[in-house]
Amino acid sequence: MTMTNPNDDMLDDLFAQARAVKIAPSDDLMARVLENADAVQPKPAFMSAPQVGLWARLMDAIGGWPAVSGLAAATVAGVWVGVAPPASVEDLTASFIGDEVSISLFSNDLLFDAGALGDG
Amino acid sequence: MNASPDPFAGAPDEALLVAYANGDGQAARILTARLLPRILAQATRMLGNQAEAEDVAQDAMMRVWKIAPDWRQGEAQVGTWVYRVVANLCTDRLRKRRGGVSLDQVAEPLDAAPSVVAQMQTQERMTALSDALAQLPDRQAQAVSLRHLEGLANPEIAQIMDISVRSVESLTARGKRALADIMAGRKAELGYDDDEPE
Repeated sequence: MTMTNPNDDMLDDLFAQARAVKIAPSDDLMARVLENADAVQPKPAFMSAPQVGLWARLMDAIGGWPAVSGLAAATVAGVWVGVAPPASVEDLTASFIGDEVSISLFSNDLLFDAGALGDG
Repeated sequence: MNASPDPFAGAPDEALLVAYANGDGQAARILTARLLPRILAQATRMLGNQAEAEDVAQDAMMRVWKIAPDWRQGEAQVGTWVYRVVANLCTDRLRKRRGGVSLDQVAEPLDAAPSVVAQMQTQERMTALSDALAQLPDRQAQAVSLRHLEGLANPEIAQIMDISVRSVESLTARGKRALADIMAGRKAELGYDDDEPE
């Protein structure tokens, strides 16, 4: 035996009305949902490698800024040693390639000698 | 107007979810277009209030985005899972409504009826139905709404609620009976004395 509730008709009508309700998401709701989607979306694991310029690659090859500053100091020191060699450097040079010898091509002795040859 | 071809045309929701998790922005838009209208409709029918339904819809979609990276394909369908999420979020709100202030005063009109008077009556009836659902135990309210407001078949409801079909039948029968009793007292107020349904 099936018991029927006298209010079933009303309830069925209410259900039918509820099912007939048409509702579309507003633009605002759509925007909020997509904003959320963007905010929590996992970002791709791979990243494109940044473009590296020639200068940056050179810097990287020689060891970065500390190496560059060391190179600059060494260059300046080398130039300075060439221009004004300290005494110790001169002594060392002399010991390897001999004492400094200076010859004057236009000394009076040589000129006289030349004259003597002409006379003679 | 939509000239660009849809690269996800015919793709199941699960594939879109995986694409979204892999960083595809277009997948989110398509998934929103597919799921949001249905989610909003389900929430509106259960809650009888547009503002509340929109909050629930936004919350439900947020859960979709958050589950995406952990979604295990083949275990469940996105559609089924979403029905469950919305039903749970709605019963959470209905529970808070029990014994509280009726939403009659703050309910926003639903776009369902041609004339203003009919629209107001529809709104009043939808609010009353939702308030009555709020009086039911959570599981009964969920089963009744899925069966009678969404028009789903019992096996599908069983899947959504993760119970047996027999349990669904029992819940919907008891829920509907209780709902009819609750609504009986509001028959005249809702215009059912002189406006009998055909």
